Amino acid sequence: MRRPAHIATRAPIRLAVPSAGVSLLRMAWDAKTSAASAAHQAPGGASSAGPGGDPLRPASPGDMSYGYTTDLAAVRAVVYRYAKQAGLPEHRAVDLVLAVSEVAANTVRHAKSPGSLKIWYDTQEIVCQIQDEGTIHDPLAGRRKPSMDAMGGHGLWIVHQVCDDVEMHSDETGTTVRLHMKLPRLRSGS
Amino acid sequence: MTAIPQGSAVWYNKGVDLLTVSVTARESAGEPYTLVQIAGEADVTNTDDLRRLLDDEVSQQPRTMIIDLSGLRFMDSSALHALLRANRSLDRQGGVLALVSPQPAVAKILRLTTADRLIPVFASVADAAAG
Repeated sequence: MRRPAHIATRAPIRLAVPSAGVSLLRMAWDAKTSAASAAHQAPGGASSAGPGGDPLRPASPGDMSYGYTTDLAAVRAVVYRYAKQAGLPEHRAVDLVLAVSEVAANTVRHAKSPGSLKIWYDTQEIVCQIQDEGTIHDPLAGRRKPSMDAMGGHGLWIVHQVCDDVEMHSDETGTTVRLHMKLPRLRSGS
Repeated sequence: MTAIPQGSAVWYNKGVDLLTVSVTARESAGEPYTLVQIAGEADVTNTDDLRRLLDDEVSQQPRTMIIDLSGLRFMDSSALHALLRANRSLDRQGGVLALVSPQPAVAKILRLTTADRLIPVFASVADAAAG
């Protein structure tokens, strides 16, 4: 006898305010790293606090902050909704959902405290920032392709494959990962 | 050997948070196979359950195991590892694993990781059962 599909119960949504002014060591080595984000990074990794007290990014109106523990399905739903709202095409929205979920999965695996997700976008790109108190020790994490039947290590590699740009900052106080996706150009007249 | 019932018989369903998995013994042209249907969202929060369930099925030593992914909206790398683990175990004991009709998000991770070159992917259960 087939029982009805299980209905999931999700953890309640919790809003979190990411700690402001945390000094983060820059570990982004990618030539693709956008000049825009580099401009907000002071030399040597110590950065001046930008608007809103977040040293790593400019203020943007309408951004959102979302705290999570193990409710990754809810995280994915939020990312998908914002990605579509920002104008990301369906297949790229799916990619961004996958990337954020993989990063947030690391919080579930390794961090001993909740993570926070921030999303913002302008006309150029949508950015998802995931912060937690875990530490990534390998500066090349996700930069090498795992062997085809490897039993681990695909997560961050996938993140690097699907996103237009990935920034990672990690030290003893925590890890910040920023995923950038370019938005399609608006048609003239629209 | 466990006697495998004729036709289609559900052994059990297991709800794993967001994930539903059902296992059925089936037959195609006289050849028995195990059909595992996975629906919902598979990620790190329910991978342990998925891995255990697949381990259990693999330990029954089926010659063919078919995993129907058509109801799976999302799969992350940890769930993928559970599939790769089942594939490796089956391969070692002379069995075959096949995947069926992944949705776009699931097809994407299979393609990115080239897991779809390691595990054959079919459009339908009938196609997979026909080999």
